[in-house]
Amino acid sequence: MPEQTSNGMQCHEFDGLLSDALDGLLSGAKLDRFQAHARACPACGPLFAEAEAGRNWLKGLTEVEPPAGLVENILASTTGIASDRLRAPALSTPPRVSWLERVQARFSDAMQPIWATVRQPRFAMSFGMAFFSLSVALSVVGVKPSDLRQISLRPAALRHTYYNTQARVVRYYDNIRLVYEVQSRVRGFKRSLTPAEPGPVKPKDRKNDTSKEPEQKQERNYSQTENNLILACAPLGPSVNDLPVVSVTTYRRFV
Amino acid sequence: MEDVQVVAMLVRRCIAGDSAAWEEIVQTYNRRIYNICYRFAGSGDDAEDLTQEVFIKMYRTLSSYDSSKGAFVTWVTTITRNLLVDHFRKTKQDRMTDSMDATTEHEDAQPLSEQIQDQSAPPDAHVRQREVGETVHAALGKLSPELREAVILRDLQDMDYREIANVLKVPEGTVKSRINRGRAELARLLQRTYRQVM
Repeated sequence: MPEQTSNGMQCHEFDGLLSDALDGLLSGAKLDRFQAHARACPACGPLFAEAEAGRNWLKGLTEVEPPAGLVENILASTTGIASDRLRAPALSTPPRVSWLERVQARFSDAMQPIWATVRQPRFAMSFGMAFFSLSVALSVVGVKPSDLRQISLRPAALRHTYYNTQARVVRYYDNIRLVYEVQSRVRGFKRSLTPAEPGPVKPKDRKNDTSKEPEQKQERNYSQTENNLILACAPLGPSVNDLPVVSVTTYRRFV
Repeated sequence: MEDVQVVAMLVRRCIAGDSAAWEEIVQTYNRRIYNICYRFAGSGDDAEDLTQEVFIKMYRTLSSYDSSKGAFVTWVTTITRNLLVDHFRKTKQDRMTDSMDATTEHEDAQPLSEQIQDQSAPPDAHVRQREVGETVHAALGKLSPELREAVILRDLQDMDYREIANVLKVPEGTVKSRINRGRAELARLLQRTYRQVM
């Protein structure tokens, strides 16, 4: 845009005043200078005419009517509730409302903020993640939903389940390698701290034994003394060799 | 345009979960938002979808509205404008492949020059006015988005320069310049079209 200094106004100043001139806000000397510049400047004059024409075209545009059902669609997509007020015909008398409906209405009014929170996608996502984590944890532990049906709630059964579970936990705990190692180290440490006690007399070493005495057996058959066989149930009288030989066969019953 | 106290109360009720208050907001602003969307996007179907999106966004971010920072209508218009700009960027590729003579749904798929030929013998003034309106609407769609949004907010929504500057986040001088250039560009487009048919 060529700069014009005639009439004491430059083109950028004219551009700044153009909106005010079209809005009818210019007056007095300012308006005179503006109009003089518009007449003299070959760029600003047509610009003023075009801007005015464009504004008139736009002012001729009328407001368009929104499509029917737009409000209902908006309400359904935001609150999820269809507007009853829009659909219900104008009634001259208010309908009778039972006390149950009134209680329900009050309850729903009170619950509305809670439901609004629950309906948030963020809440639904959190709930879904929590459910997923729980189901994964249960499946890892080995709990199946079908097993829950077979649970007995009798006190004896509950006690039994409790002790079983406790024993399983203790077994699991004891079988952990780390626990075992720690326990054995603690035991070794204790053993090294306790003072040495006189131990039991050790039996003689057979390699160094020069007494030539036979080793006394630990097991002793008290039914035999000095080669005489004593039968606990046999009557005293004849010797063993005189007794009749009786063979007894027992049949074990396999069940 | 709006009673600040009343609107603030309405917004507070909405945030508290009052569906009636939300319905009142929708009833009050749906026409305005639909018109902005229609004039910017050019199509009735797009305008309907965009209007719904604007209200969904409003519903989600209603708690962020601060009445001390500006009027509710400015806040609503800012949301609408931002969504329209996003929509414009998303559909830019589609429009680049369209013909320059592509028209809106109201134009019977004819170029602008051919439509104006049909105005020679309109059945009555009402029909003529409607057809002129559609021609101007089509020309508006050919403006760049910066100029289009400025003239829509000023000449169709009657917002003042300061409000427009708040919505567009540019200085008032830039707003005035864009409005002047938009109006002049629109007039040139329409003059060129009329000159072709005369």
